Amino acid sequence: MSTATPAHSSAQSGTAAIQSATIETRDWLIAAAAAIVALIALYAVFMDNGSLISATGDYLHEFAHDGRHLFGAPCH
Amino acid sequence: MLPLLGRGMVAGALGGLAAGLFSLLLAEPLMDKAIRAEEARSHEHEPAGGAVQHHEELFSRSTQHAGLVIALVVAGLAIGVLFAVAYALVHRRDPRGNPWPRALAFCAAAFCAVSLFPALRYPAAPPGVGDAGTVGDRQEMWLGSVVLGVLGMFLVWQVYVRLAARPVPVRQCAAAVTAVAVLALLWALPDNPDPVPVSATLLWDFRMLSLASHVLMWAVFAGVFGGLGLRALRTKAPVTAAATGYASAAPVR
Repeated sequence: MSTATPAHSSAQSGTAAIQSATIETRDWLIAAAAAIVALIALYAVFMDNGSLISATGDYLHEFAHDGRHLFGAPCH
Repeated sequence: MLPLLGRGMVAGALGGLAAGLFSLLLAEPLMDKAIRAEEARSHEHEPAGGAVQHHEELFSRSTQHAGLVIALVVAGLAIGVLFAVAYALVHRRDPRGNPWPRALAFCAAAFCAVSLFPALRYPAAPPGVGDAGTVGDRQEMWLGSVVLGVLGMFLVWQVYVRLAARPVPVRQCAAAVTAVAVLALLWALPDNPDPVPVSATLLWDFRMLSLASHVLMWAVFAGVFGGLGLRALRTKAPVTAAATGYASAAPVR
Protein backbone atom coordinates (compact mmCIF):
# COMPACT_ATOMS: atom_id res chain seq x y z
CA MET A 1 0.00 0.00 0.00
CA SER A 2 2.80 2.36 0.83
CA THR A 3 4.41 1.53 -2.55
CA ALA A 4 1.15 2.12 -4.41
CA THR A 5 0.65 5.65 -3.09
CA PRO A 6 3.56 7.40 -4.87
CA ALA A 7 2.60 5.80 -8.22
CA HIS A 8 -0.97 6.89 -7.72
CA SER A 9 -0.03 10.46 -6.80
CA SER A 10 2.41 10.82 -9.71
CA ALA A 11 -0.31 9.68 -12.11
CA GLN A 12 -2.61 12.22 -10.50
CA SER A 13 -0.10 15.06 -10.82
CA GLY A 14 0.46 14.03 -14.45
CA THR A 15 -3.27 14.38 -15.11
CA ALA A 16 -3.28 17.70 -13.27
CA ALA A 17 -0.37 18.94 -15.38
CA ILE A 18 -2.18 17.94 -18.58
CA GLN A 19 -5.34 19.62 -17.29
CA SER A 20 -3.55 22.87 -16.45
CA ALA A 21 -1.78 22.81 -19.83
CA THR A 22 -5.17 22.38 -21.53
CA ILE A 23 -6.63 25.25 -19.54
CA GLU A 24 -3.64 27.39 -20.44
CA THR A 25 -4.01 26.57 -24.14
CA ARG A 26 -7.72 27.35 -23.95
CA ASP A 27 -7.00 30.69 -22.26
CA TRP A 28 -4.47 31.64 -24.95
CA LEU A 29 -6.98 30.72 -27.66
CA ILE A 30 -9.60 32.94 -25.99
CA ALA A 31 -7.01 35.71 -25.75
CA ALA A 32 -6.12 35.34 -29.43
CA ALA A 33 -9.81 35.51 -30.40
CA ALA A 34 -10.25 38.61 -28.21
CA ALA A 35 -7.20 40.21 -29.82
CA ILE A 36 -8.66 39.64 -33.31
CA VAL A 37 -11.97 41.19 -32.25
CA ALA A 38 -10.03 44.10 -30.74
CA LEU A 39 -8.14 44.70 -34.00
CA ILE A 40 -11.40 44.70 -35.97
CA ALA A 41 -12.87 47.19 -33.47
CA LEU A 42 -9.83 49.47 -33.80
CA TYR A 43 -10.09 49.25 -37.58
CA ALA A 44 -13.77 50.17 -37.41
CA VAL A 45 -13.15 53.17 -35.17
CA PHE A 46 -9.92 54.57 -36.62
CA MET A 47 -9.47 53.28 -40.16
CA ASP A 48 -12.85 52.65 -41.78
CA ASN A 49 -13.80 54.96 -44.65
CA GLY A 50 -17.03 53.26 -45.54
CA SER A 51 -15.54 49.99 -46.68
CA LEU A 52 -15.76 47.73 -43.62
CA ILE A 53 -19.34 46.65 -44.27
CA SER A 54 -20.85 48.12 -47.40
CA ALA A 55 -24.17 48.66 -45.63
CA THR A 56 -22.59 50.98 -43.06
CA GLY A 57 -21.47 53.44 -45.73
CA ASP A 58 -19.84 56.41 -44.07
CA TYR A 59 -21.85 56.00 -40.87
CA LEU A 60 -19.05 54.43 -38.80
CA HIS A 61 -16.58 57.01 -40.05
CA GLU A 62 -18.86 59.97 -39.36
CA PHE A 63 -19.98 58.67 -35.97
CA ALA A 64 -16.39 58.23 -34.78
CA HIS A 65 -15.32 61.40 -36.65
CA ASP A 66 -14.43 63.53 -33.62
CA GLY A 67 -12.76 60.62 -31.85
CA ARG A 68 -10.56 60.01 -34.88
CA HIS A 69 -9.47 63.63 -35.10
CA LEU A 70 -8.77 63.78 -31.40
CA PHE A 71 -6.85 60.51 -31.30
CA GLY A 72 -4.70 61.66 -34.22
CA ALA A 73 -6.04 59.11 -36.70
CA PRO A 74 -6.16 60.38 -40.29
CA CYS A 75 -9.53 61.68 -41.38
CA HIS A 76 -10.86 63.42 -44.45
CA MET B 1 -4.40 35.01 -18.71
CA LEU B 2 -8.15 35.60 -18.48
CA PRO B 3 -7.96 37.75 -15.31
CA LEU B 4 -5.36 39.89 -17.12
CA LEU B 5 -7.73 40.22 -20.07
CA GLY B 6 -10.48 41.36 -17.72
CA ARG B 7 -8.19 43.89 -16.04
CA GLY B 8 -7.09 45.21 -19.43
CA MET B 9 -10.69 45.70 -20.55
CA VAL B 10 -11.75 47.46 -17.34
CA ALA B 11 -8.67 49.69 -17.41
CA GLY B 12 -9.13 50.41 -21.14
CA ALA B 13 -12.82 51.26 -20.80
CA LEU B 14 -12.17 53.61 -17.86
CA GLY B 15 -9.16 55.18 -19.58
CA GLY B 16 -11.16 55.71 -22.77
CA LEU B 17 -14.08 57.13 -20.79
CA ALA B 18 -11.80 59.56 -18.93
CA ALA B 19 -10.18 60.70 -22.19
CA GLY B 20 -13.61 60.93 -23.85
CA LEU B 21 -15.18 63.07 -21.12
CA PHE B 22 -12.06 65.25 -20.90
CA SER B 23 -12.17 65.98 -24.62
CA LEU B 24 -15.94 66.37 -24.62
CA LEU B 25 -15.47 69.25 -22.20
CA LEU B 26 -12.28 70.82 -23.57
CA ALA B 27 -11.66 69.72 -27.16
CA GLU B 28 -15.20 69.75 -28.56
CA PRO B 29 -15.59 73.57 -28.42
CA LEU B 30 -12.36 73.73 -30.42
CA MET B 31 -13.55 71.16 -32.96
CA ASP B 32 -16.86 72.98 -33.40
CA LYS B 33 -14.88 76.17 -34.00
CA ALA B 34 -12.66 74.39 -36.53
CA ILE B 35 -15.72 73.06 -38.39
CA ARG B 36 -17.29 76.54 -38.52
CA ALA B 37 -13.99 77.89 -39.88
CA GLU B 38 -13.94 75.12 -42.48
CA GLU B 39 -17.49 75.96 -43.57
CA ALA B 40 -16.54 79.62 -43.87
CA ARG B 41 -13.51 78.65 -46.01
CA SER B 42 -15.53 76.46 -48.37
CA HIS B 43 -18.12 79.26 -48.77
CA GLU B 44 -15.33 81.59 -49.79
CA HIS B 45 -14.20 79.16 -52.46
CA GLU B 46 -17.67 78.60 -53.84
CA PRO B 47 -19.33 81.99 -53.59
CA ALA B 48 -22.12 81.55 -56.16
CA GLY B 49 -24.30 79.44 -53.89
CA GLY B 50 -22.52 76.33 -55.17
CA ALA B 51 -23.46 73.32 -53.07
CA VAL B 52 -20.89 72.83 -50.34
CA GLN B 53 -20.23 69.27 -51.32
CA HIS B 54 -17.46 68.62 -48.80
CA HIS B 55 -19.70 67.38 -46.00
CA GLU B 56 -23.14 66.05 -46.48
CA GLU B 57 -23.88 65.66 -42.80
CA LEU B 58 -24.92 62.18 -41.75
CA PHE B 59 -24.99 63.07 -38.08
CA SER B 60 -25.65 66.24 -36.14
CA ARG B 61 -22.75 67.72 -34.21
CA SER B 62 -24.31 66.63 -30.91
CA THR B 63 -24.43 63.02 -32.14
CA GLN B 64 -20.79 63.31 -33.12
CA HIS B 65 -20.03 64.66 -29.63
CA ALA B 66 -21.52 61.47 -28.16
CA GLY B 67 -19.72 59.48 -30.86
CA LEU B 68 -16.43 60.87 -29.59
CA VAL B 69 -16.94 59.40 -26.12
CA ILE B 70 -18.25 56.09 -27.46
CA ALA B 71 -15.42 55.79 -29.99
CA LEU B 72 -12.81 56.37 -27.30
CA VAL B 73 -14.42 53.85 -24.92
CA VAL B 74 -14.54 51.20 -27.68
CA ALA B 75 -10.95 52.01 -28.63
CA GLY B 76 -9.95 51.83 -24.95
CA LEU B 77 -11.54 48.38 -24.59
CA ALA B 78 -9.75 47.12 -27.70
CA ILE B 79 -6.44 48.64 -26.62
CA GLY B 80 -6.94 47.04 -23.18
CA VAL B 81 -7.32 43.59 -24.75
CA LEU B 82 -4.18 43.99 -26.88
CA PHE B 83 -2.30 45.46 -23.91
CA ALA B 84 -3.24 42.47 -21.71
CA VAL B 85 -2.11 39.96 -24.34
CA ALA B 86 1.22 41.76 -24.84
CA TYR B 87 1.67 42.08 -21.06
CA ALA B 88 1.05 38.35 -20.58
CA LEU B 89 3.46 37.46 -23.41
CA VAL B 90 6.24 39.69 -22.09
CA HIS B 91 5.88 38.39 -18.53
CA ARG B 92 5.11 34.74 -19.34
CA ARG B 93 8.40 33.45 -17.87
CA ASP B 94 7.83 35.22 -14.57
CA PRO B 95 4.14 36.02 -14.05
CA ARG B 96 4.50 36.68 -10.31
CA GLY B 97 6.24 40.05 -10.28
CA ASN B 98 4.92 43.16 -8.53
CA PRO B 99 2.00 44.26 -10.74
CA TRP B 100 2.22 48.00 -9.88
CA PRO B 101 5.68 48.93 -11.25
CA ARG B 102 5.07 46.53 -14.14
CA ALA B 103 1.82 48.28 -15.05
CA LEU B 104 3.49 51.70 -14.90
CA ALA B 105 6.46 50.63 -17.03
CA PHE B 106 4.28 48.83 -19.56
CA CYS B 107 1.89 51.77 -19.84
CA ALA B 108 4.80 54.18 -20.31
CA ALA B 109 6.09 51.99 -23.15
CA ALA B 110 2.62 51.66 -24.69
CA PHE B 111 2.09 55.42 -24.43
CA CYS B 112 5.33 56.03 -26.36
CA ALA B 113 4.54 53.33 -28.93
CA VAL B 114 0.94 54.16 -29.86
CA SER B 115 0.44 57.73 -28.62
CA LEU B 116 3.53 59.90 -28.23
CA PHE B 117 5.74 58.74 -31.11
CA PRO B 118 2.97 58.70 -33.77
CA ALA B 119 1.74 62.07 -32.43
CA LEU B 120 5.21 63.59 -32.79
CA ARG B 121 5.59 62.30 -36.35
CA TYR B 122 2.01 62.87 -37.50
CA PRO B 123 0.47 65.42 -35.12
CA ALA B 124 -3.30 65.37 -34.78
CA ALA B 125 -5.23 67.67 -37.12
CA PRO B 126 -8.52 69.36 -36.23
CA PRO B 127 -11.64 68.76 -38.34
CA GLY B 128 -11.46 70.58 -41.65
CA VAL B 129 -7.83 69.61 -42.15
CA GLY B 130 -7.26 66.53 -44.24
CA ASP B 131 -7.81 65.85 -47.92
CA ALA B 132 -10.21 62.99 -48.69
CA GLY B 133 -7.99 62.11 -51.64
CA THR B 134 -4.92 61.43 -49.51
CA VAL B 135 -6.64 59.70 -46.58
CA GLY B 136 -5.53 56.22 -47.73
CA ASP B 137 -1.87 57.24 -47.91
CA ARG B 138 -2.06 59.08 -44.61
CA GLN B 139 -3.60 56.03 -42.96
CA GLU B 140 -0.75 53.85 -44.18
CA MET B 141 1.83 56.31 -42.83
CA TRP B 142 0.07 56.65 -39.48
CA LEU B 143 -0.33 52.88 -39.15
CA GLY B 144 3.34 52.54 -40.10
CA SER B 145 4.32 54.91 -37.29
CA VAL B 146 2.23 52.95 -34.77
CA VAL B 147 3.69 49.61 -35.91
CA LEU B 148 7.25 51.01 -35.81
CA GLY B 149 6.51 52.43 -32.35
CA VAL B 150 5.33 49.05 -31.02
CA LEU B 151 8.21 47.12 -32.60
CA GLY B 152 10.61 49.78 -31.34
CA MET B 153 9.37 49.42 -27.77
CA PHE B 154 9.90 45.65 -27.98
CA LEU B 155 13.43 46.40 -29.15
CA VAL B 156 13.95 48.74 -26.18
CA TRP B 157 12.74 45.99 -23.86
CA GLN B 158 15.06 43.44 -25.49
CA VAL B 159 18.05 45.81 -25.14
CA TYR B 160 17.24 46.23 -21.44
CA VAL B 161 16.82 42.48 -20.89
CA ARG B 162 19.93 41.44 -22.81
CA LEU B 163 22.15 43.84 -20.88
CA ALA B 164 21.07 42.19 -17.61
CA ALA B 165 24.70 41.61 -16.58
CA ARG B 166 25.56 45.34 -16.85
CA PRO B 167 24.98 48.01 -14.18
CA VAL B 168 21.52 49.58 -14.11
CA PRO B 169 22.63 53.03 -15.40
CA VAL B 170 24.19 51.40 -18.46
CA ARG B 171 21.02 49.41 -19.14
CA GLN B 172 18.77 52.44 -18.72
CA CYS B 173 20.93 54.66 -20.92
CA ALA B 174 21.08 51.98 -23.63
CA ALA B 175 17.29 51.61 -23.49
CA ALA B 176 16.79 55.40 -23.70
CA VAL B 177 19.17 55.71 -26.66
CA THR B 178 17.28 52.89 -28.41
CA ALA B 179 13.98 54.70 -27.81
CA VAL B 180 15.37 57.94 -29.28
CA ALA B 181 16.72 56.00 -32.29
CA VAL B 182 13.27 54.48 -32.86
CA LEU B 183 11.71 57.95 -32.71
CA ALA B 184 14.26 59.27 -35.21
CA LEU B 185 13.54 56.29 -37.48
CA LEU B 186 9.94 57.48 -37.80
CA TRP B 187 11.22 60.35 -39.99
CA ALA B 188 12.10 57.73 -42.61
CA LEU B 189 8.35 57.64 -43.26
CA PRO B 190 7.02 60.17 -45.81
CA ASP B 191 5.70 63.53 -44.64
CA ASN B 192 2.01 64.28 -44.29
CA PRO B 193 1.14 65.78 -47.71
CA ASP B 194 -1.87 67.85 -46.60
CA PRO B 195 -1.89 71.64 -46.19
CA VAL B 196 -3.03 72.88 -42.77
CA PRO B 197 -5.17 75.95 -43.43
CA VAL B 198 -6.11 76.81 -39.83
CA SER B 199 -4.77 79.34 -37.36
CA ALA B 200 -1.62 78.39 -35.49
CA THR B 201 -3.30 79.00 -32.13
CA LEU B 202 -6.17 76.64 -32.88
CA LEU B 203 -3.77 74.02 -34.23
CA TRP B 204 -1.48 74.21 -31.18
CA ASP B 205 -4.40 74.09 -28.74
CA PHE B 206 -5.95 71.14 -30.55
CA ARG B 207 -2.70 69.18 -30.62
CA MET B 208 -2.03 69.87 -26.95
CA LEU B 209 -5.55 68.70 -26.04
CA SER B 210 -5.13 65.62 -28.22
CA LEU B 211 -1.86 64.73 -26.50
CA ALA B 212 -3.35 65.53 -23.09
CA SER B 213 -6.23 63.14 -23.70
CA HIS B 214 -3.72 60.42 -24.67
CA VAL B 215 -1.76 61.08 -21.46
CA LEU B 216 -4.96 60.98 -19.42
CA MET B 217 -6.05 57.71 -21.02
CA TRP B 218 -2.74 55.99 -20.27
CA ALA B 219 -2.51 57.43 -16.75
CA VAL B 220 -5.97 56.13 -15.86
CA PHE B 221 -5.16 52.86 -17.63
CA ALA B 222 -1.95 52.39 -15.63
CA GLY B 223 -3.61 53.21 -12.31
CA VAL B 224 -6.56 50.88 -12.86
CA PHE B 225 -4.53 48.01 -14.38
CA GLY B 226 -1.88 48.17 -11.68
CA GLY B 227 -4.42 48.68 -8.89
CA LEU B 228 -6.51 45.71 -10.01
CA GLY B 229 -3.31 43.64 -10.17
CA LEU B 230 -2.47 44.57 -6.58
CA ARG B 231 -6.02 43.81 -5.47
CA ALA B 232 -5.87 40.39 -7.14
CA LEU B 233 -2.66 39.66 -5.20
CA ARG B 234 -4.32 40.71 -1.92
CA THR B 235 -7.45 38.64 -2.45
CA LYS B 236 -5.46 35.64 -3.64
CA ALA B 237 -3.06 35.64 -0.66
CA PRO B 238 -5.62 34.75 2.06
CA VAL B 239 -6.92 31.87 -0.10
CA THR B 240 -3.47 30.28 -0.40
CA ALA B 241 -2.93 30.92 3.31
CA ALA B 242 -6.20 29.14 4.11
CA ALA B 243 -5.29 26.24 1.84
CA THR B 244 -2.01 25.74 3.68
CA GLY B 245 -3.66 26.07 7.07
CA TYR B 246 -2.15 29.39 8.13
CA ALA B 247 -5.37 31.37 7.92
CA SER B 248 -6.32 30.88 11.58
CA ALA B 249 -2.92 32.18 12.67
CA ALA B 250 -3.20 35.31 10.54
CA PRO B 251 -4.40 38.44 12.34
CA VAL B 252 -7.98 39.42 11.52
CA ARG B 253 -8.10 42.73 9.70
